[in-house]
Amino acid sequence: MNKMVKGAIATGVGVVLLVGGGGTLATWNQAQSASMGSVVSGDLNLEVNTATNSGKWTNAAGTVVDVKAYRVVPGDTLTYTQDLKMTLTGDLMAAKLSLTGAGANTGFTPASVVVSATALNDKSVTASAPSPISASTVLTPAVNGHLVTASTTFTFLASTSNRDSINQTYDFKSVGYKLEQQAPVSANAQ
Amino acid sequence: MHTPRALKAAGLVLAAVVLGLLTVQGTYALWNSAVNSNAGTVQAADFRVSLTDGPTNTTTDMTVNGLPATVALSTTPIGVVIPGQSVYAGVQLGNVTNAGGDFKIRATAGTPGITDSSGSGFASVLSVKAVAADTLAQCQSAALYAGAKNMASVDIAKNMTGVLCFQVTLDASAPGRLQGKSAGISIPLTVDQL
Repeated sequence: MNKMVKGAIATGVGVVLLVGGGGTLATWNQAQSASMGSVVSGDLNLEVNTATNSGKWTNAAGTVVDVKAYRVVPGDTLTYTQDLKMTLTGDLMAAKLSLTGAGANTGFTPASVVVSATALNDKSVTASAPSPISASTVLTPAVNGHLVTASTTFTFLASTSNRDSINQTYDFKSVGYKLEQQAPVSANAQ
Repeated sequence: MHTPRALKAAGLVLAAVVLGLLTVQGTYALWNSAVNSNAGTVQAADFRVSLTDGPTNTTTDMTVNGLPATVALSTTPIGVVIPGQSVYAGVQLGNVTNAGGDFKIRATAGTPGITDSSGSGFASVLSVKAVAADTLAQCQSAALYAGAKNMASVDIAKNMTGVLCFQVTLDASAPGRLQGKSAGISIPLTVDQL
């Protein structure tokens, strides 16, 4: 055998030995799942609950009126009511419900009208005695799915004299509601 | 390109401010949800009362540009009034409103003012009675004024009309020297919402 053949055989033996060496690397091992599961986010939502009351004006007689066509006269009292549904989920969820915007008097003599502050009441607590919600009330997931009734009263005073405030308007278009999350105590700053 | 050092510094400060603002906004961004009330607009009604003169059917609003209007009532043409006789007039009032709810009014004819046109004393022998009626045609009936006084009122429902009739009587004892004289009679009408 010449040197070339001897070298080739030695190389082949070395390769075979290396292949055999793979088996010699197998030692004990064990795998374990972290069981971290999934992180699930909560929910915050505020919507008009059209199923119960999407918003309506009623006069003093309790008659539902179409405010686009209705014309008030001194002595009239109109009340606007609307049901809102709150969605609040999340273990550390906290939120506050507040009013946004306000009615704008665009012509009535100020002394001839009184407009109440919009009242928010959680009527899911006790239907017969709704629980008032103020701007400082902290809402938690305990009230998730509750219905809130918002009500505003417009009073055209009977004491209005002469022909004051005829053909005038009071605009409530900008009135709205906002449900806003409050940062948890442990909130990050990011 | 050669950028001045001051310009670089300004750019750096601007970038820092922008980043700082974005960071501040980020810390306040929490969940929120808002809805509009769609409450619309409350509108006041008009307050219009129309006046219609009986014989001529002339109609005018009780107020024009917010000021009281005057309607000249035509008397029933019965010829020359002689002592002891009467002439009649009437006005129909319409509650012309676009009020959404109930809107009832009361029209009242106040104390008549009778004035001589020439200081003759003719006014002193004239008297006026007022009474409410359903139609202007009833104003000519003398029987309507039985027991009537010089003031009267009528209630008018929304979009309905009411009538006030007047009887002007020349006293039976009026002296002959008052022949051909004239007097002016003014009757104030006021309307109140009930």
